[in-house]
Amino acid sequence: MQIKPILSALRRHKAGTFLIAMQIALTLAIVCNALFIIHQRVAHLSEPTGIDEANIFIVKNEWVGAPDSARVDAMMRADLQTLRQVPGVQDATPSNSYPLRGSGWDDGVKLKPDQLQDSSGSTIYFADEHFIDTLGLKLIAGRNFRADEIGHMDMRYKLAPPVVIITRALADKLFPGGQAVGKTIYLIGGPATVVGVVDLLQAQSVERWASDFAYRSVIIPERLTLSLGSFYIVRARPGQLDAAMRAAGKALFAQNPRRVIADDDGLLSFSEVRSRAYESDRGMAILMGVISIVLLAVTAAGIVGLTSFWVGQRRRQIGVRRALGATRQDILHYFMTENLLISCAGVLVGTVLAIAMNLWMVTRFEMHRLSLSYLVTGVVILLLLGQGAVLAPALRASRVPPVEATRSV
Amino acid sequence: MLKMTHLSKVYRTEVVETYALRDFNINVNEGEFVAVTGPSGSGKTTFLTIAGLLETFTGGQYHLDGVEVSNLNDNERSRIRNEKIGFIFQAFNLIPDLNVFDNVEVPLRYRGMKAAERKERIMNSLERVGLASRAKHYPAELSGGQQQRVAIARALAGSPRLLLADEPTGNLDTQMARGVMELLEEIHREGATIVMVTHDPELAARAQRNVHIIDGQVVDLAEDPRFHHAVHAARANSPA
Repeated sequence: MQIKPILSALRRHKAGTFLIAMQIALTLAIVCNALFIIHQRVAHLSEPTGIDEANIFIVKNEWVGAPDSARVDAMMRADLQTLRQVPGVQDATPSNSYPLRGSGWDDGVKLKPDQLQDSSGSTIYFADEHFIDTLGLKLIAGRNFRADEIGHMDMRYKLAPPVVIITRALADKLFPGGQAVGKTIYLIGGPATVVGVVDLLQAQSVERWASDFAYRSVIIPERLTLSLGSFYIVRARPGQLDAAMRAAGKALFAQNPRRVIADDDGLLSFSEVRSRAYESDRGMAILMGVISIVLLAVTAAGIVGLTSFWVGQRRRQIGVRRALGATRQDILHYFMTENLLISCAGVLVGTVLAIAMNLWMVTRFEMHRLSLSYLVTGVVILLLLGQGAVLAPALRASRVPPVEATRSV
Repeated sequence: MLKMTHLSKVYRTEVVETYALRDFNINVNEGEFVAVTGPSGSGKTTFLTIAGLLETFTGGQYHLDGVEVSNLNDNERSRIRNEKIGFIFQAFNLIPDLNVFDNVEVPLRYRGMKAAERKERIMNSLERVGLASRAKHYPAELSGGQQQRVAIARALAGSPRLLLADEPTGNLDTQMARGVMELLEEIHREGATIVMVTHDPELAARAQRNVHIIDGQVVDLAEDPRFHHAVHAARANSPA
């Protein structure tokens, strides 16, 4: 192996060697962390909501004037009646919010009335007896709400429904290993009996602050009758989403024109909801991806540039080596090995930098600890990039003829 | 040892063909010290680069140590250069990034020799040229004469069958040139075959035999009367 003379030669070219090694180190540190962030964001993007996203759309209905709670309830029931009769609509339900909306009602759940600390956080969904079918939720224990259990309330009332349905995640948290149905839980307004458990229903927010109760939801048998308006969640029959959306808006206006359904977000398919909810995650992933690609390209260009410069500078030296018996492969190996040694130094420093950068982000931005697999992947990428980048100039070097040794400078 | 028969070397461009060597014939026996002389542009260096397998030739035959080299591939030519030929260049051609020891080691590494044997050969070669104490010095820290001695040590370390020297004293002052020339003569006396290209009649006079090239062909030295007389005068003034 030529390692000793290569190291000896590199010591005579400290500046170029140092700069490239540092460029590799910085690239590794940034790319490792960027890949880690991308993976986290992508994993976040693919978290399931638990609902039949392909066929669901949301109507954001705003009332004109300031109708009281009883009036709102009457209008909502009329709207729901109308929506359920729209061609292509399978079912419809009112709600204060829906998964991925980004805001709604979150509240603590307790197991005893005098408990100071909440047993769990949760998202509160106000619903009627059509909620489970409309969202396509899977009831895994107990029963659905009966029509006679559905009431209506506005923000002035206490949250104290007689019965609730909870998600499996919340049931597991509150009653680990046990049966939730029939048990009593305490909401802010008082006790409620769990009558059913649904399999999966994501919270309304996908932000980090809500991650502790991401799938812990409580479904309340009340229509939330706010004078401002409310949401209708509508499930279309398979393949009829677009037609049902268009028809739903017209039908609601025909039934009662004293409302506003905004052009931009009044009617949203759930794919648009998902797209809007993860806009920043997707943007961050793309930004990190672009930064990584640009950095890798700049590093590769740096390696190509420096090696090309060194090949040009050492043309006569290469000729001398060839004259003294080096084969083309020997010259190729020389430059590949030289790059590998620089890259190894770079990735060594880069690994330390990557860990330090991640630790800093863990303390500043509540990020997770960098997994070792990202470091290994980053190191492999950088080493392969180095070898790939050096290949063209190294091949050029290997083609320098031995007669170059006799040419005058 | 070295035999070229009707050898030619043609440089072709789109519009012109230039013969660097034409119907070139030379035979160097084992143990000879031959000076190849001729005016600038006569083809001396082309002869040397072909003799050293640094370049291919266009026509004719070339036998080196009994091997016809025209059909050898690049790797085989590299191996022969490494094992059978020692080069001494006018510009020394040491690798500036490597110290003296590492410079002498270069051809031995390409031979795949073990470290212990390499070290022994390197130190023997450096002792022979009187530079063992400078093994850790870099070329830039040595005089021109010392650099050429290192180049000679590098050429000798591999125990080549043939030493090719291209104007070995061309970049040296008179005193250093004399030292290098004496070293070459000493190496020759020990049995080495040396072919030295030079345009210096005094150096040519110290070789056993002169081969004179004009316009790419070997000619009788008498065809270049000025050079002929200069060589004779140098021989007459030589202390030997």
